[in-house]
Amino acid sequence: MSQAEIMSPAGSFASLHTAIKAGANSVYFGIEQLNMRARAANNFKTSDLPEIVRICSENNVKTYLTVNTILYDHDLVMMKKICDAAKENKITAVIASDIAALQYAHSIGLEIHISTQQNVSNIEAVRFFAKFADVVVLARELTLNQIKKIIQEIKKDNILGPSGELVKIELFAHGALCVAISGKCYMSLATDNASANRGACTQNCRRAYRVTDEETGEELVVDNKYIMSPKDLCTIGFLDKIIGAGVSVLKLEGRGRSADYVHTVTKCYREAAEAVAAGTYTKEKIEAWTAELATVYNRGFWHGGYYLGKELGEWSGEYGSQATKQNEYIGHVTNYFRKTSIAEIIIETGEIKIGDDLFATGDNTGVVKFKLENFFLDGVPGKVAKKGNTITIPVTERLRINDKIFLSKDR
Amino acid sequence: MSKCKIIHYRKNCIGCNSCTEHAPGNWEIDATDGKANLKRANGKDDVFIAEISELELADNQRAAQDCPVGIIHILDAQGKDISFE
Repeated sequence: MSQAEIMSPAGSFASLHTAIKAGANSVYFGIEQLNMRARAANNFKTSDLPEIVRICSENNVKTYLTVNTILYDHDLVMMKKICDAAKENKITAVIASDIAALQYAHSIGLEIHISTQQNVSNIEAVRFFAKFADVVVLARELTLNQIKKIIQEIKKDNILGPSGELVKIELFAHGALCVAISGKCYMSLATDNASANRGACTQNCRRAYRVTDEETGEELVVDNKYIMSPKDLCTIGFLDKIIGAGVSVLKLEGRGRSADYVHTVTKCYREAAEAVAAGTYTKEKIEAWTAELATVYNRGFWHGGYYLGKELGEWSGEYGSQATKQNEYIGHVTNYFRKTSIAEIIIETGEIKIGDDLFATGDNTGVVKFKLENFFLDGVPGKVAKKGNTITIPVTERLRINDKIFLSKDR
Repeated sequence: MSKCKIIHYRKNCIGCNSCTEHAPGNWEIDATDGKANLKRANGKDDVFIAEISELELADNQRAAQDCPVGIIHILDAQGKDISFE
């Protein structure tokens, strides 16, 4: 069985470095405002493209640029600029949804992936988009059997993309699910004039709601007030079935998530994809990956999501993350001595002790996790370090000045 | 008649077009990058300021209230934020 491509989210340089280190085969990211994370604080700019491509090509990682919002007339100039910049910088492909973007990218010879925002749910839609795209991301609402059938039809009918190769199928493997059909939600637009389909979703479906009968004033008894907030998708437990169905690319959601999240999710799915390919995918490993995935941001996992054709209705019972670990800011790196692999850290808040799990994160460092096994404080070995202390510790992997240090602890 | 000010933090504009619909006299979409421009404004580093009269206030308050990314603010002559009043 060939190994599936693991595509990780890169919402920042820190996440980009992290994704590469954790084993991503490709990364996807947005620039400027025409992408589904337009609201995010740290979107890349067009001027960041050369650096992103340089880093990725040095590491043999493919680059996918998202241009997948709905487009208005006034967006066409910027859309074309983004596509031109993608072409000029040799981005592997653009991920697009609006016909205008598909048409333009195709006209300048860019490789195209059809975004899940297009909600492709049947073979005829795949056949139509094959005129433009080599990879199609299927709707997140299909069952595994429906996906399998689409892939069989692609092979049977020899549906080729512009490259002359069979159209590949990509799926979302892990991360947030929408309450609405992919690319069709207008809830945030209706309540806050903030269109999810322009990357400005306010995620108001994630809040707790009461349901009241206006006529009688009676409130419906709901055992879970988070009536519109689905748990997160997690397919690590049946990745063999997904890859066995012929899915080539596994996309991990989370451009708005931290580098730490990107690290854990990428690492687990890369290991799982390798294990499936090598025939060493076991129940024990699945349990270990699932536990590891639970340590980072999640709303509880919906194992199977829509893919297994399970009955719908696994709703999150809480607001925010149910990660088993939480991260506490401790301080930052003031120096790193490369020859001896020693980091100097100032503790700005809280305290740390021997045995604590720490990690460093920064734009060029990505995420480096380490255990505090020993450290020096004022030239002597220490056990506990507190606010105001500057300590030196051995960290094998290179850290950089101003990298932030976090303590990872059980919730 | 006292003057009010509009402050526009342009960097985070997603080009949704709402402000130009509410107050076309004060807002237009830039032909090159698809983001909104505040007309007759002074500014730098992506923060723009323009004075408006009270006659233009209501339309621009609607623009501020409907901005999906909250980057339009309206201040009265005393500097108080009256975007949502």
